[in-house]
Formats: sequence, structure tokens, C-alpha cells
Amino acid sequence: MTATLQKKICMLGAFSVGKTSLVRRYVSSVFSDAYLTTVGVKIDKKAVDLDGRTVNLILWDLAGEDDVNALRLSYLRGAAGYVLVADGTRPATLDVALSLRGRVENDYGPLPFVLLLNKNDLPDQWTITEGDMIGLRNAGWWVRSSSARTGEGVEDAFIDLASRTLR
Amino acid sequence: MSTSSPEPLEWLLRPPSGENGFDRKALAALLLDIARNVRPELAGTPDAAPATDIRLEQLRTLLMGHEIELLARLSNILDDPEQLAAAVGRILPTAFAQATGDARLGQVLAPSLEKATQTSIRNDPHTLVNILYPLIVPAIRKSIGETIDRTFQSLNETLKHSLTLRGLAWRWEAWRTGLSFAEVVLKHTLVYQVEHVFLIHRHTGLLICHAAAENAASQDPQLVSSMLTAIQDFVRDSFSGAENQGIDTMRLGELTVWSEPGPIATLVAVIRGKPPEELHDSLNAALSRIHQERHQALQDFDGDGTSLADVEAELTECVALRQARPQKTRFGFPWLALPIAVAVLLFVSARVTRSWQEDRRWDHYLAQLRALPGIVVTETGRRDGKFTLTGLRDPLAADPQQALGAMEIDPANVIARWAPYQALDPQIVLKRLAATLDPPPDVRLSIDGDRIMAEGAAPAAWLERARAIARTLPAGAPILDLASIRNLDAQADRRWDDYVARLRAQPGIVVTETGQRFGKFMIAGLRDPLALDPEVALTEAGIDPAHVIARWAPYQALDPQIVLRRLQATLTPPPTVRFVVEGDRIVAQGSAPSLWLERAHMAARILPSGAPVFDLDAVKTVSDGAIGKLRDDIQARTIRFDNNEPLPASGQDALLDQLADDLKALETLAPSLHVVARVMLTGHSDALGKGTFNLSLSLARAEAVRALLRKRGVDPDLLQVRGAGDLEPILAQPTEAARSANRRVSFTVELEEQL
Ligand SMILES: Nc1nc2c(ncn2[C@@H]2O[C@H](COP(=O)(O)OP(=O)(O)OP(=O)(O)O)[C@@H](O)[C@H]2O)c(=O)[nH]1
Ligand SMILES: [Mg+2]
Repeated sequence: MTATLQKKICMLGAFSVGKTSLVRRYVSSVFSDAYLTTVGVKIDKKAVDLDGRTVNLILWDLAGEDDVNALRLSYLRGAAGYVLVADGTRPATLDVALSLRGRVENDYGPLPFVLLLNKNDLPDQWTITEGDMIGLRNAGWWVRSSSARTGEGVEDAFIDLASRTLR
Repeated sequence: MSTSSPEPLEWLLRPPSGENGFDRKALAALLLDIARNVRPELAGTPDAAPATDIRLEQLRTLLMGHEIELLARLSNILDDPEQLAAAVGRILPTAFAQATGDARLGQVLAPSLEKATQTSIRNDPHTLVNILYPLIVPAIRKSIGETIDRTFQSLNETLKHSLTLRGLAWRWEAWRTGLSFAEVVLKHTLVYQVEHVFLIHRHTGLLICHAAAENAASQDPQLVSSMLTAIQDFVRDSFSGAENQGIDTMRLGELTVWSEPGPIATLVAVIRGKPPEELHDSLNAALSRIHQERHQALQDFDGDGTSLADVEAELTECVALRQARPQKTRFGFPWLALPIAVAVLLFVSARVTRSWQEDRRWDHYLAQLRALPGIVVTETGRRDGKFTLTGLRDPLAADPQQALGAMEIDPANVIARWAPYQALDPQIVLKRLAATLDPPPDVRLSIDGDRIMAEGAAPAAWLERARAIARTLPAGAPILDLASIRNLDAQADRRWDDYVARLRAQPGIVVTETGQRFGKFMIAGLRDPLALDPEVALTEAGIDPAHVIARWAPYQALDPQIVLRRLQATLTPPPTVRFVVEGDRIVAQGSAPSLWLERAHMAARILPSGAPVFDLDAVKTVSDGAIGKLRDDIQARTIRFDNNEPLPASGQDALLDQLADDLKALETLAPSLHVVARVMLTGHSDALGKGTFNLSLSLARAEAVRALLRKRGVDPDLLQVRGAGDLEPILAQPTEAARSANRRVSFTVELEEQL
């Protein structure tokens, strides 16, 4: 039968920060350098075992926000949590992530979320300091640097988020 | 008959009009022929028949009156465009209905329809929305279904059937029967069956429950339900006015997707074939039963479907609904097509195309860069989805960033590293020269082969600078040719050269450097402070001092002229002394006080080696001259006194006069010789009498003589007095003669050099 436990998780962030890549890394363990921008939404599913139960994460990979396309907040309806993604090599994307988080909170109230500073395999272009991360953590955020290329931090983020949606 | 209806008759009697008229002659002949057949004895020729025989017309009306009337009406309709349009309009729907079997109809209409739609959308996108909105109304559900149907059909066909056995069989059938492939597909899908039923939580879009027909192809229903929700969200968002009304019908090839919204959950049925409207009622009934029985559980749903597992029974009943026996074999649900449908609806644009275009633009950009002077591309590539580019760039070359913008390449996608270098391309060297040389407006720089030609006229200073820069151009760079530049400052140059020559000839001046710098003349060297003042010489040469930069370091010159001047300045010789240069000697002539002479000898001794000799031999001391004679004359005289008398003995007036003249001569001569003269008058007494008395008597005698000399015009300041008493006798014998000689006033002259 079908109905086990499902949780809707949304991927949010500026364009080209690696939302799609993170989902692909997490769901299919692959990575590609090609950039195919997401238009609208792409849906994926990943089953995880948490506390002896299978939880199906329904991952809504939303189109990245840029100057032209604002996020359609309606896609977040019914989400149990979300992954905020910023690109550690482009500081502006962190601002976008913070702004997105504010807007989501406005419309849907506090929801569990994690913040991933992605592309940490590019240390020479990295612009986020340890201090920035500590500041966010002190604000109570779950923050990690991650890489869809190497997979670092990816699994952790989804597992942590999933377990928090169960509480 | 005919008499009762005169109008057709008149119409018939009208003369023939053009081609539409009929041939009365032929008709008459025909009638005659008939008559002859009835009664062969009847003769006559058609020619005999009158052109307008009223009976003929009557006969014609009799025979064809009805048809003529009908024809008249039809021709009326055909001639009037409005009537014709109305008439065609009446039959057009039926005509289309009849023609649907004809594939050509669609082909003929499609281009005009496409064009009309495009124009309409371009003019106002809202038109599309407004068109789509009423389509959601159930009455037109069918037509929207067909529209979408057409969109998906080809997709599905190619995806689904082209490589399956079934698809090949149907293609074979289509080829065999001459029907279109679509028609064959339709023929096989006339029966409907509910294949999948999804119960989807409206708020979260999560699947509550799912049931499928036994033989239905299956894919992840959880994913499918989320995708369906996403489509609904998109439609709701995109078409304002449809906020609460998502799509209730969707066609995916031969499958119809019906969405029945309930208060908490939506029931979605995937139906193969063409379902009847009554199916809506069955599905809605099931949905409301579920809502009724499991209301609380539905409300509490948060992704955990376990408590609602029993709803599946209800869904399975829906799945059993069908109108006829399902086909033995059929297509699976085009699961593959569903994500693609999502893609189409959401206008997913494959970045592949975009990135291909980007690659083209990038290549083009690189080609442009390579052609630019002052830019050397050493390496290109791609990393992390970005273009990488390294190379050398002359700071004067075009800005690669700018070219990027012109090529419509996002600079954020490009990582470029440019190392600076000095390009030797003539264009760049020209640019650099133009920047550093700052040529005056009359100078033009141009490229001629691998030379840079300068033409025009320029001030000398600029020319000199240009020459200096031309010399420092690196090897391999184009040559800067200045030969065609006319020097604007030739005359000023000549004046300057004269000036420099004059300075060089001057004693006490050593020119070490001359030139032109920053548009000014430049001169540097050593100058003795006693030499000619170059500033003065400048004014004399008529050169503006503002155009000259001069730097003079002081030094001690050893030219005899200068040494002479220096000696003159330091020794301040009395006017009785003259210095002359004889060869490389400086000879002093005349007379001078001995003290001055002493200093002069000293100076001569400390002159630096290499300096001219300072010859003082010809200088006599002052006392040797006139003043010495005066001194000796004055000192040789004495004034005598009688015993005990303070005034001079009589008979000495002439003596006193002579003395006064000598003193006055001394008085005038001394200052001219820079000599201070002092004359001491000493009074003496004989040894008779008491010592104290003698002392005051001797002083009184000296005072008396001074008074007498003063009376004769001698400056009293020149004269000093003292009394010696009897302590400085000339003769010591105790004789009257000796005593008389001792009673006197004597003179001593002191000549002292003025300092
Ligand atoms: N080096 C590196 N590149 C990454 C990483 N994650 C993503 N990328 C690259 O970044 C580009 C964008 O990745 P996507 O996953 O498509 O980004 P997105 O956030 O989904 O973008 P949109 O859908 O347009 O909003 C692609 O070229 C990826 O290969 C990472 O961790 N490291
Ligand atoms: Mg994406």
C-alpha cells in the first residue's frame, strides 16, 4: 500500500546556488556541472529511515529566485520544512536566502529549516567567513557549508531537517 | 394561366441580355420541329418565326416557369454578398461536421488559426487568460480537453508507441488502412476505464491514498500526486480569476484526468477513453462519503496516512468503474509523459539550448578578443559551469569586460585573469606614446608599416622629450620617426646657445650641464660668488628667466681675475695699493701700512696651490713715505724754556708755526693712508727745585705748547700731553748749558694702522 509517512520539503534560494544539484546528490548520488535552470518546480522523492519509521520526503525543488522571477510562495503550502540554499562563493545569495526566510515566515509562520552554504569545494572563491556562520548559529540556526559536488553536508542537512519535522 | 401572372411574361419578353439571355430563334425552331413531328405536313422555316412571337414566350413559361423563378432567386442570393454569407453561414457547421473526416480541413485551417492566436496573444496576453477562463466552465470542458489532447497526443505517441509492439502494430494498421495514426489510436480507445484514483490532501498536496486497476501501469503515486498539485498551484497562480478553480480536467493522450475537489481532499481519477458525464457523479459520491466518514482523520492529516488506510476500499470501488470490458492489451499510463506534461505546462526551458547559444557567443567573444591588439589569450576553458579565461592584457588595450556585455554574456559566468604586459603592437604603442608624449595639437601620430610617424611642428622641449622617449622604446617595438617634426624654437635655441657660450668663457663659471627639460632651458654648473651673475647675463641675452632652470653650486675659482677680486675683497687694500694681473701672477704695487702688508703676506702664503702667485714685493711700508718724513720732522723738534717759566722762551714763534704746519699735514695725510696718528707732547724741567714742583711745571709747559699749537689751527684731539718732570733729561751734567737743554717740550709721533 501507499500511505506511509510523507513530509513535504521545499528547496529555496537564489538561482544557480545548487538547489537542484543538492537534490540530485541526495536522491540519486550524482552531480553534474551542467546548469539547467529550474522553471516552476521539480518534484522528487527520497525515503529515509528515522526512529525506525520510513519517512518519504517529497522534495519540491523550486525555481531559484532572481531579478525577474520572484518565488511563488504558494508552492510552500503544506510544507513541513525547507532547505535554504546560498552559494558560498556569491555573498549576495546569502542575502536572498535571508530575505526568503523572512517572507516564508511571514506567510506560513515558523517552520523548521536548515541553511546550506553550498559549493564549499571551491575554497579559493569562498567568501563566507567562519564568523558569519557562528553568528547565524548563535541566532539558533542550523547552518552548514555543503557541496553538491562532493556530497559534504548534504545528507546531514536533510536528515536533521526531516527529524525536526517529526517533532 | 399566363394572363393571370403578367410579370414572368414581361420578364420573358425583355430583349436578350448578354450571355444570360436565351436564343429565341433556336427555341422557335425546336417548337416547329415538334409540331412537324406531330403534323408532318406543316412546313415553314424558323426564319419565318417572328423575333417576338408572344405565343412562343407563353409556351416557354408554360413549360419552365417554376425553374425560371427558382433560378432568379438563386442568382439574387449569389449576387448579394450579405445574403450569400448568411446562406453559407447556415450550412457551415454542418459542412465542418461532415468534413472532419477529411484531413485536409485541418491542414487548410491550421495556419490561419495559428496566426490569429499568435497575434491575439502578442497584442494582449490577458486575452489568452480570458479565453482559458471560461473554458474551465464544465460546459466547454470537452473542447479544452480536445485542445490539450492534441498537444499531448503527438508527444505521447512518439514517446509511448513508437517503440512498443503495440505502437508498431497500430502504425502498421494505420499504414494498411490509410487512416492517420491518431485515428487508429482513437478507434482503439473508445471504451473507458478508471485506472487510477488518488486521494490528495488539498493543503499539503500529499497523497492520502491511492488505488490502481490490477493491470494499470504504476509509478510512484506520491510523486504523481505532488506533481498534480504543482500543476494546480501553477494554474491557480498564473490565471488570476481562477484562484479557487484549478484545472478539473486534463487530457494526457488517451487518458483523461479528472479532478474532483472536496473540502479537505481532492479525488483525482485517471480514466482511459472517453468517460461519460455521469462518472462525475459516481466519483463525487465516493468523495463525499470519504469526507463524511473520515472527516476528523482527514483534518488531522499531516503526511501520515496510516489512520486513513481503510479509505483504500472506497477508492478501489472507483477503480472498478468502467463502461465496457477493458481491452486485452492497452497502453500503460504514460508515466513518462506526466513529468514532461508538467514541464510543458511550466514552460521548462532546457538550459541545454541556452548553454549551446552561450557557447557560441563565448567562441565568438574569444575570437574577437584574439583579434584585439594588446590582448593575448593564453588559456580558455570551463569550470563549475563558468567560462575561464587567462591571458595578458596591455592596460591600454580595449576592456575585455566591456566586450563581454556587448556579446550578451553574463560577466558573472566568466572568471577572467589578466596579467598586465606591455604590448608592442603599433596601435598600442601609438596609444601609449599619445598618452605619455601628450603631443601638441599640431603634431599628428600615425602608423606607417612598423613605424610610427610624427608629423607637424612642435616646441623644441617637446621634441627633445619625444627623442628621449623614442630612444627608450623597447627592442621590437615600432620606431618613432620624428624627422618630419619642425622645431618651433630654433631662434630661442640660438639665443640660448650664445648665452651658454658666454657663460663658458666667463672666469669663475664652469658649466657642467645644459639642456632642455619640461619645455625649459636647463643649465647647471659651478660658480664663484665673485664671478659674473648668470641672471644678469640672462637678461642681457634677452632670455626670459622664467623659461630657464639654473642650478649653480658655489666654488672657489683660481682664475687670476677672480683671485684678484677675492684678494681685493678680503684685504681691502689702502688706495695707495694697486693689484694687477701679469700672466698668472697678481702683483701688488704702491705703499701700505706695515700691518696691512703683514696681513697681505699672510694671505699670499695661504692661497691654495694652483692659484696664481700673489707678489707683494713691490709694496713699500707706509713709514717710508711722506708720512714717515713728517713724523721724523716733527720728532726732531723741541721747544725750549727759561728757568722756572711755563711758557716757551721768546724767539720760537717761527718754530711753532712750522711745527703747526707739519702737524696739520699729518692730520690730513694720515686718514688717506688708513693710519691713525697720535702726537705726544712731553714737558720736561731741569733738576733744580723739588720733584713735585718740577712735575707740575713740566706738565704746564706741555699744556702751554698744545694751547699755542691749537691757536695755530692744529686739532687738539691729535695732541696729547704729559709731564716728565726732571726724570728724562737729555744731558745729565750739572751745567747751566745742560740744564737749559733739559728745559723743553719734546714730540713723539705714533702712527697706527686703522683697522
Ligand atoms: N563547484 C560546485 N558547483 C556546484 C555545486 N552545486 C551546484 N553547482 C553548480 O552550480 C550550477 C547551478 O546548479 P543548480 O543545482 O542547477 O542550481 P539551482 O539552484 O537549482 O538553480 P536554479 O534552478 O536556476 O534556481 C550548476 O552548474 C552546478 O553544476 C557545488 O556544490 N559545487
Ligand atoms: Mg534548479
